[in-house]
Amino acid sequence: MAVQPETQNKGFFNTILDLADDTFTRITAGISAGEFRKMLRGEPPGRPNPRLRPHSDSFLLHIKPSYYHESVTRFTHTFRLGLLSTYLFILETITGAILMIWYAPTPERAYTDMIRLLSNVPLGQFMRDMHRLGAELMVAIVTAHMVRAYLTGSYKPPRQFTWFTGVILLVVTLFLSFSGYLLPWDQLALWAVTIGTSMAEAIPPKVVGDTVNLLARGAPDIGSSGLLRFYLLHVLFLPLILILFFFVHYYKVVLYGISLPAQEEEIGEDSAKKVPADRRVYFLPDVFLDETSFLLSVTAIMVVWVATYFQAPLESIANPQSTPLHTVAPWYFYWLQGLLKISDKFISGVLLPGVLLVLLMGIPYLDPNPSRRIKDRRVAIISGVMAGVVMIIWSYMGTPQYAVQGAPPIEVVQEIMPEEGAGLVREVGYKHLPNGDFLTVDTDTLVRYLGEEDAQKLLDSGVVPMDNIHDEDDPEFAEVMHEFAAGISEQQERDANFNNVYGILHVIQDQPHLKRLDWEINYLSGEGESDKFVRSFWLHEDALYWEQYARRDLSFISRLTEDGGVLGSMKNLLGLE
Amino acid sequence: MHKPLYHYLYIKSPIAKIAIGILALVVTLAVLGGIIVTEVPRMEAQTANWNGRSIEKGAALFASNCAPCHGDHGQGTMNVAPALNSKYWFTHRLDDLGYTGSQKSYVLLTVAAGRPSKVNSQWAQRMATWSRNYGGPLRDDQIDALANYILNWQESAVEQTDEEDPWQPFDGVDTGWAGVRAAEAGITETVGISDTQTVSETAEPRAPEVLFVNMGCSGCHNLNEPQDENTPHLVGPNLGNLAEVAGTKVPGEDAETYVHTSIVAPNDFVNPGYLPNLMPQNFAEQMTPEEINALVTWLLDPNRPQ
Ligand code: HEC
Ligand code: HEC
Ligand code: HEM
Repeated sequence: MAVQPETQNKGFFNTILDLADDTFTRITAGISAGEFRKMLRGEPPGRPNPRLRPHSDSFLLHIKPSYYHESVTRFTHTFRLGLLSTYLFILETITGAILMIWYAPTPERAYTDMIRLLSNVPLGQFMRDMHRLGAELMVAIVTAHMVRAYLTGSYKPPRQFTWFTGVILLVVTLFLSFSGYLLPWDQLALWAVTIGTSMAEAIPPKVVGDTVNLLARGAPDIGSSGLLRFYLLHVLFLPLILILFFFVHYYKVVLYGISLPAQEEEIGEDSAKKVPADRRVYFLPDVFLDETSFLLSVTAIMVVWVATYFQAPLESIANPQSTPLHTVAPWYFYWLQGLLKISDKFISGVLLPGVLLVLLMGIPYLDPNPSRRIKDRRVAIISGVMAGVVMIIWSYMGTPQYAVQGAPPIEVVQEIMPEEGAGLVREVGYKHLPNGDFLTVDTDTLVRYLGEEDAQKLLDSGVVPMDNIHDEDDPEFAEVMHEFAAGISEQQERDANFNNVYGILHVIQDQPHLKRLDWEINYLSGEGESDKFVRSFWLHEDALYWEQYARRDLSFISRLTEDGGVLGSMKNLLGLE
Repeated sequence: MHKPLYHYLYIKSPIAKIAIGILALVVTLAVLGGIIVTEVPRMEAQTANWNGRSIEKGAALFASNCAPCHGDHGQGTMNVAPALNSKYWFTHRLDDLGYTGSQKSYVLLTVAAGRPSKVNSQWAQRMATWSRNYGGPLRDDQIDALANYILNWQESAVEQTDEEDPWQPFDGVDTGWAGVRAAEAGITETVGISDTQTVSETAEPRAPEVLFVNMGCSGCHNLNEPQDENTPHLVGPNLGNLAEVAGTKVPGEDAETYVHTSIVAPNDFVNPGYLPNLMPQNFAEQMTPEEINALVTWLLDPNRPQ
């Protein structure tokens, strides 16, 4: 067998080593094993710097600068918020593509597909929760990134256009979030989006508003065409626009370099690209390690968050015929909802957001101050902070707390057992609701309200007065009754037409594993006429209700023993057996 | 250069950065592993959850759409609609019909389509078509919720004793259920038990207000509203002002006789605007003469508590 002369010269062992090194270098796009070891040891690169190779050889790295100014690599300069926005977008793309496998955008299927995803797809709920958390975080992080760029004055020349494209990215991010909101096709989704799109209607002149609304919804009301349109926006058009503008944005960032801390350069000068040799921090390995460990940490936080405290909501199936009592927008649109409460759709839904957007885009072109230093920018900083405060106030007005109040008895029940969502009673759950009839007042108060005789009649019928509901028996149930009573007294103070109120909770075993809760509220109107309100809800033993940001109910883990422990459950998962 | 307060955030050592990264990765993988090994119970809990929520939805729909005919607890209303929580319904009904599908599919298709074409039914009204696909008011998911709710009676229904079983016989269906019940109760002779419930001679007379509900009168008659042009009525005329109008309907018949005849032989005089044969013709067999007389007196009592 003829051995190649080269190998003969080098010897067998060295040939293998060289081959291994060659493979390593190909994978790392130009970093040899020896150089890699040096990086780990923290040794400086040789000259010419061999660590620049990947920036010319690899596609992904050729986008990245090969070195940064030392001052901008400090965490507290950018907080890596732009990087994090990019990462979240990638995360959303991956989890979103996975969710698409089990989702069909039709009113007949969308909601049942969500249920199937939650109950029948391994890791389905995890993917959904990650996608939802990622989306909400992305809105928050992109906004924070904007605030950072504002505070460091990074929108000033030459980065005006970077800022401008950034605003477009913010708008696209908001629309992405909003369009995704409709896809589960539950009541929450339908009504938030109905309100959202109805603002488009207010654009003058009427033809234009109507047309925009019609284009968005696909029909006068959101239905199958509306859902399809939102789906296509969400998975196709908006991501494409975002990707396009991201590259424009990032190209500009690389072109001008990340702005230096303002006090490190002369006013009106931009020296970001002139990095003295001794201030250079190379991407490989330092910035690379910074960014990777940062993103891994964020991922860990998100996964832990999803496992313990975050669950994407899913309410009743969308029903265009019934508007839920208090419809709420997602938190990042609370400010808009707050605005809508104080003025009409045109002013608060079209005019003000439009003006705000133009102002935001125009900031770099409107701000004549050449200095990026905080102490020279009093006006800019103060108006920025004021804008933030106003946003927070508007948002507060948009929260359900600041809701338009309905009739007192309706509000009382809505507080503890809302039409949609969880509420205290559903969280306390079936097993803490004993069958029987329970009063929100004690015997003395009842006698005061009804007179001796009627009160006695009521008590004889087996109704349990508050004085006989003890914390020791079942603290959770006692809490329900106390909250019921507290809700009543709150409304009683608020409304003069709501007097001598006593509530009765009737818990009735309707079917095996199913209880009916009748919330009965008796009261005297202002004229002294007695009136009664009854609202019925059913609660099933197996039903789980959750709040989006509350602790996750992990009691299902106890089922593990029935499933044959971890091993049995894994076999089951993998379809063995 | 002076160090800012937060200088510890600036980690320089590559080893420290790598350690943080690895730690984060380990945490991520560990939590993910925990999620994976508990996926099966989690999915089971979710499956039960959505079934439970669907039953809750079904319960609300049943209360507003079906309970007027089928009763608050699905116990049915005599002559108006059959029981849906009876032992018979869960154990023998489908066999009697020769239906080979599942109980759920039977409910789904019955509720979706209704019973649109039943002629000469033993029941007062046809059950309407419920599905939106056939012109009814309900969506498919709502019908599914109703079916889940009805099937949730199974557990308690199959444990019913004879007294609890609210079974009502179906005309024209050859059911061996009476025999089955007798056999279960240990009765070998089936004397006194036939396909239609016969009057037990020895039992206590039942009170009129009980009969009015149990015999299904309440399914067809409103007791409180008066009979006049403007007041809507159910299948039969309103009986709120019966005492005033009963004597005026058939010349020569006083109120008592008229009401009595209306119950035992409804077709003798059919009120204008109503069809004959709607009201069951066999009440004379279902109640004792004393019970019928008491019912007549009660119906004509102007001070009857409402
Ligand atoms: C107008 C009174 C009425 C209402 C309201 C009504 N039903 Fe019925 N239902 C009937 C009658 C009568 C029958 C028996 C029809 C027959 O056998 O011809 C029936 C039969 C059924 C059956 C089949 C029973 C069997 O053994 O064959 C089911 C299931 C049922 N109904 C469910 C429902 C549900 C669910 C609703 C509410 C959405 C409902 N019904 C509302 C009158 C009614
Ligand atoms: C299936 C529906 C149905 C049921 C069940 C039913 N009825 Fe009727 N009832 C009718 C109809 C329809 C009429 C009107 C036609 C007629 O006059 O025969 C009527 C008429 C009457 C009238 C005459 C009213 C008048 O003003 O002329 C009386 C009294 C009456 N029913 C009593 C009863 C009593 C008591 C029961 C229960 C034992 C009962 N009905 C059960 C449908 C029903
Ligand atoms: C999807 C949304 C966005 C992504 C993915 C993104 C990405 C980035 C990245 C990676 C950088 C590099 C510097 C850093 O990490 O801070 C950056 C810089 C910058 N971004 Fe964004 N950005 C987004 C939205 C925005 C928005 C909404 C604005 C402002 C309205 C904005 C304005 C800027 C500016 C001015 C810079 C330059 C900062 C400097 O040079 O100091 N960006 N962006």
